[in-house]
Amino acid sequence: MNYALASLAIPFTVALLTLLLQRRSEANPIVPAITVLATAVSLVFAGLALETQAVSGAVSHLNVGGWDSPLAIRLRLTPLKALLLGFVALIHLLTGLYAWRAKPKIARDYWPLSALLHTSLAALILSADIFNLYVTLELLSLSAVALVCLSGPKAYTPALYYLLLSLGASLCYLMGVAVIYGQYGVLDMTVLAGIMEADHSTRFALLLMTAGLMLKGALWPLHLWLPEAHTYAPTPVSALLSGLVVKGPLFILWQLWNNLAPEALAREMGPLFAAGGVVALVSGGWSAFRAPFIKTLVAYSTVAQLGYALMGLGLLLFLQERIYAVALWLFVLAHGLAKVSMFLAAGEMQTLLGSKRVTAMRGATQTIPITMSAFAIAGISLIGMPPTGGFLAKWSLLEPLFTQANHWPWASGVLLGTFVSAAYVFRAIALGFYQAPMSREPRHFDRVSQWLALLPALLVGLMAFAGQDLIAWMAGVTQT
Amino acid sequence: MNWTNALPVVAVFSSLLPGLLIFALREQQQGLRTGLNLLGVTVKLIVVGVMLWGVSQGLDFRVEAPFLPGGALILHGDALSLQFVSLSAVLWMATTIYAIGYLRGTPLQSRFFGYFSICVSATVGVALAGNLITFLLFYELLTLATYPLVVHRGTREALDAGRSYLAYTVAGGTLLLMGIAVLHALSGSPQFVPGGYLASVPARHGPALTVAFALLITGLGVKAALIPLHGWLPKAMVAPTPVSALLHAVAVVKAGAFGIVRVIYDVYGAETLEQLDLTAPLIAVAAFTVIFASLRALQQRHLKRRLAYSTVSQLSYIVLGAALLGPIAAVGGLVHLIHQGIMKITLFFCAGAFEKTLGVHRISEMDGIGRRMPLTMSAFTVGALGMTGIPPTAGFISKWFLAAGGLEVGQPWVVWLFVVSGLLNAAYFLPLVYRGWFSIPTAEWPEDHQPESGWETRRMLLLPTLFTALLTLLMGLLAGSALGPLGWSQLIVAREFPL
Repeated sequence: MNYALASLAIPFTVALLTLLLQRRSEANPIVPAITVLATAVSLVFAGLALETQAVSGAVSHLNVGGWDSPLAIRLRLTPLKALLLGFVALIHLLTGLYAWRAKPKIARDYWPLSALLHTSLAALILSADIFNLYVTLELLSLSAVALVCLSGPKAYTPALYYLLLSLGASLCYLMGVAVIYGQYGVLDMTVLAGIMEADHSTRFALLLMTAGLMLKGALWPLHLWLPEAHTYAPTPVSALLSGLVVKGPLFILWQLWNNLAPEALAREMGPLFAAGGVVALVSGGWSAFRAPFIKTLVAYSTVAQLGYALMGLGLLLFLQERIYAVALWLFVLAHGLAKVSMFLAAGEMQTLLGSKRVTAMRGATQTIPITMSAFAIAGISLIGMPPTGGFLAKWSLLEPLFTQANHWPWASGVLLGTFVSAAYVFRAIALGFYQAPMSREPRHFDRVSQWLALLPALLVGLMAFAGQDLIAWMAGVTQT
Repeated sequence: MNWTNALPVVAVFSSLLPGLLIFALREQQQGLRTGLNLLGVTVKLIVVGVMLWGVSQGLDFRVEAPFLPGGALILHGDALSLQFVSLSAVLWMATTIYAIGYLRGTPLQSRFFGYFSICVSATVGVALAGNLITFLLFYELLTLATYPLVVHRGTREALDAGRSYLAYTVAGGTLLLMGIAVLHALSGSPQFVPGGYLASVPARHGPALTVAFALLITGLGVKAALIPLHGWLPKAMVAPTPVSALLHAVAVVKAGAFGIVRVIYDVYGAETLEQLDLTAPLIAVAAFTVIFASLRALQQRHLKRRLAYSTVSQLSYIVLGAALLGPIAAVGGLVHLIHQGIMKITLFFCAGAFEKTLGVHRISEMDGIGRRMPLTMSAFTVGALGMTGIPPTAGFISKWFLAAGGLEVGQPWVVWLFVVSGLLNAAYFLPLVYRGWFSIPTAEWPEDHQPESGWETRRMLLLPTLFTALLTLLMGLLAGSALGPLGWSQLIVAREFPL
């Protein structure tokens, strides 16, 4: 637990510290260095927390300030939470390194805000009661909105939509919390898990909270804010938003339905989630296929890929088999890595090719091969071809469906999803293979940032080679 | 890890590593690029030679690594996989030399040879795959590595062909994945065994097995170009000729046909297939493909497109040989895997040489080409006669065994099928031979590039062509010797059909 706390406290301290340092000079060159270093340390601590937690398989609690149940801010650490803490730190580290190298320089407010985002995600992961979750959700959304605004006036409108919808979503969630508190008089999730009943008011509360979370997590059909916001945000921010921010509400949704909700309700909800996931895959994928801008394509692909996660959640609730939990979290990990790579590559392309349009990628295999490889490998993981992490997740979702004949129809959802993802990914990749226009002056590459975009793609690209161990390990991690 | 484990890995990596290194080379580093290529070729040939010797002595080359629960990553050099591996290794050598000659002076060679090597590694991986999961891994890698080769020219036409190629193969790959997942849910993905491993699956799973078979065959049939899944192949002719040659003789289409052979013999097994009665539709499709593709070939005016439809037709010989489920037919199908590869690559090499030297693309432009390029035209003649199945070429051996195999399993119509197919083959190949040798050239050649060496075409285009033409003849003449592909096919069948 101490390690996890450290992993949470470090970005918080950094957020405050960088804010103080910024005051003194216009752009303090030390700030990025501190932030990146601190993120790395936070990653190490999360790793330690994961190691101790996964080995013991234990669940630990902490009552902040020593207050007990009704008043306390309770934190709870499980192996899955430790894993997610590490994942959050890793993605922050990768994007932080890229933002450090980025040309043109990223706005200086990026550093405190991203540290704040990191803090709120860590707090969201560790929180053990549904009201604190509301607080962390608000923090998360506010820092995310502020980060979107960093790219200047063109981002204000999407950021405003994002803010308004996000506030509405929080309100929905909060009302749900209020109803539950009114009925049971408890907010702590471990306590609630034992006493919730499948009555009308609980059902109503859960639905309210679900609607709020789906809106925040851009889960179909409440995803409409996402593509604009992700397109107009600065590149490292888009990567953070797609890779992490939408996963926060998803994590709460998972706890809500997997741990809290009475099983009867969860079983009812499962098919709805799974069906929503299939629709998300198809409609998100179709929009990505039609997208005019590179970043919009990548953003819509997030909508589509979240469909896989939603499908995993739905099937888990519906069929009550642990393997779908593994599939769900493998999707989250694989998608996070792939999306970071894709957004960073998309950002590089915008700078190097001087255009936002997908059609600007013509000839990119010849002009910017490393960036193009990052985009392609990440894309192949999104399609789910072996040996990528996307394949591993898809396999964990698909293979158990075939063990019983009446679950086979769900497999067609995966089939459709693969076709649509292949269509939008290869549409972009194919453009890269056009003969490049010859008469261009040599470009000035920053090799380091190109490789930084490629690194997560390579990680996810070879992920399935650890498949057997990873699935067995994830099955243990997702137990609690 | 002792040396018998290491060899399959070396066989895959001997082309994968050079491929990855070549990507990093600059365009001008031609010497180094050629050196890396030839190093890889040499290592692979040696490794394959040792493995061939080992397997004939009863050694087992096998390596395993964890991959998915219930499905490890297995590379296994058995008699059947070595049949395909040797074909890829030998033809890779010929095609590499040919491609160096063909692409001289064109841009983007590092990218080309990088993907070319990865493509061969994927093919060898497909051949050596010891279970369905491993097979899938390399099969998809092959799809991805071939795409950049198909679109290499970077023109709109090439990209259109590439789109069609991807649409077919990615869809096929997904169906294959589904089929493999169905089987995996029933029995895991154990190693391929002669006679199939699904015999132990309880009979109540019959419908699931039927669906899985349909999924697998459809998925593999895309690459094996079974009609109506063949649409990508003639379009892919827009690729540079060495790519078409490799695609048609070794890599893509053979991966599909080889996969079908594996599924029939080592996954389901003849017994299970007979019980479930699954082969009849496959035989029907293959037979239809043999005839219909030949008819389509007759209509083509472009040389490469005619060759493409001929490939579609000939591939179904292999599928048919496997699907008839008799030992003699199986020998015919397996030996045709090799023979078709050697003969078709000869024909493509010739087509490429005509194109590079004289700018000849269309059949009507071939009049009298034999007077100008006698050696190339001789090689073409050998390939064409082989395809028609005239003794003593290799093609005759394949047809003989396939027809005899049909009789053996009580399907005499197969003999008539091969008679008709042979006539059609003659109808679309012999006029080309006639034109080449006996017609009088009507006009100037479209483009005339007389090489300075005084040879009829670039040396690096001619030598591989003559080499494969010679192989075509030798395989027919020396078919009786135990060392040839026929002897090896009989060895495979002896191990697959324990009598």
